[in-house]
Amino acid sequence: MEISDLTIEKFHEGLVRKEFSAFEITEKFFGHIEEMDGKINAFLRITKDLALSEASRIDVELAEGKDLGLLAGVPIALKDNMMVEGEVTTAASKILESYRASYDATVVSKLKEAGAVILGKTNLDEFAMGSSTENSGFKTTKNPYDTDRVPGGSSGGSAAAVASGMALAALGSDTGGSIRQPAGFCGVAGLKPTYGAVSRYGLIAMASSLDQIGSFGKTVRDAAILFKEIAGRDEMDSTSISLPQGYGDEILNPKLEDIKKLKIGIPKEYFIDGLSSEVKKAIDLAMAKLKSLGLEIKEISLPHTKYALSAYYIIMPAEVSANLARFDGIRYSRIEEGVKSERTALWDIYFNQKGRGFGSETQRRIILGNFVLSSGYYDAYYSKAQKVRHLIKQDFESVFNPSAGGNCRWDSSL
Amino acid sequence: MGELNKKTLEYLAGLGKLDIKKGTEEKLLHDLGEILSRFEELKEVDTENVESMAGGVTGINVFRDDESVKINNRGKTKARITDAFPEKQDGLLKVPAIFE
Repeated sequence: MEISDLTIEKFHEGLVRKEFSAFEITEKFFGHIEEMDGKINAFLRITKDLALSEASRIDVELAEGKDLGLLAGVPIALKDNMMVEGEVTTAASKILESYRASYDATVVSKLKEAGAVILGKTNLDEFAMGSSTENSGFKTTKNPYDTDRVPGGSSGGSAAAVASGMALAALGSDTGGSIRQPAGFCGVAGLKPTYGAVSRYGLIAMASSLDQIGSFGKTVRDAAILFKEIAGRDEMDSTSISLPQGYGDEILNPKLEDIKKLKIGIPKEYFIDGLSSEVKKAIDLAMAKLKSLGLEIKEISLPHTKYALSAYYIIMPAEVSANLARFDGIRYSRIEEGVKSERTALWDIYFNQKGRGFGSETQRRIILGNFVLSSGYYDAYYSKAQKVRHLIKQDFESVFNPSAGGNCRWDSSL
Repeated sequence: MGELNKKTLEYLAGLGKLDIKKGTEEKLLHDLGEILSRFEELKEVDTENVESMAGGVTGINVFRDDESVKINNRGKTKARITDAFPEKQDGLLKVPAIFE
């Protein structure tokens, strides 16, 4: 069995038919990582002991005649901002270089329960801030299709690992495109689920009102299988929501007849100068395909789209500056001591840790966040952005939920 | 709107317990200035009578009964958390003297 031919379901079929063992496949993946990752740098660390012991456990369960779920034995990679108990978890920041996670993130306990085999932790832009995975405190990940190019980011390590066949599927996190964009760059399927659909307990926070964990797969179906496993309400994350009953079945077995009744909205504000002709062509092709399947395509308007980037670039660093304050060298790991100054010993620790531990982009965003939140500027920036955010939300409500009181803005058919 | 100068920059960095590296002030001021000038476009938007939106999607309060809840593996998690403390004594977090 060539591991490059596998999808999650093919792996599952082969495993239960005993064409191969989980242990054997896991070893093959590690062999492939050893061969490939020197060029790609998708992984920050592999978790070989954890993976092989889990794979053996799955093989024993199968031998005992137990029913195995779809994810049992599936070799998966995790972005290194998700905590795996006892394993080093850095968010690609030097400030957490030697930090070992105290507990499993909820997504990790769910994957462990499902019997998934965690191969290792993948590279990212430091604290998930960036779009190229060049901003990591440790290494630069390359695009497996052309190592002169970037894999996108910040979940570039996870995207590259799946694209190069070094993991069958992976988890990433997405705040402002960090799953969707690297998935696009690496030619794999990537999903940012609806905010609240997946618990963030145990995810190192970047911008909490936007962060969401999601899945990467070689196929849309693989990404859906993984999403179904990690989705749902979690008592440990109050922003997580219960999924509607039967929702999971719908993900994996969509009713195509119902889908044909959908109207697809094409926001005219998304087709502006600067859209590359290749991307435009791909969207046109996708629209033609949907039309040929019987779906209706309508031009819609989301008038505040233009302001989304500015609003995002105020709200995100504001939340970053608050979330990253906790990395002070006191509560978590401490990197080597720096020079003593005329400050107190406690202040020396703070300044040395943050100065040496945070990369320049991280420091820049903390400073920007402090600015938009500071007295005198709060109303003009932070508060304004929060209001614009509300208007952007209302744009969507008026298009997608006209019964809730909004004006339907559907225009002419394309 | 943003009057960013070296003094404000130092103040903002200090709030985040950051020292600005020597020789990087000018570039940082320039970059931040560029970003702030982009934000000017938000002035065009009429946000009178628009409520702030602070959270993600639902914006509902989540309550639970005021009772202690058993956390799985609590003892183990606690031990791992205290193990991660850079300096500790008898399971407590050790902090250097604040007054000297």
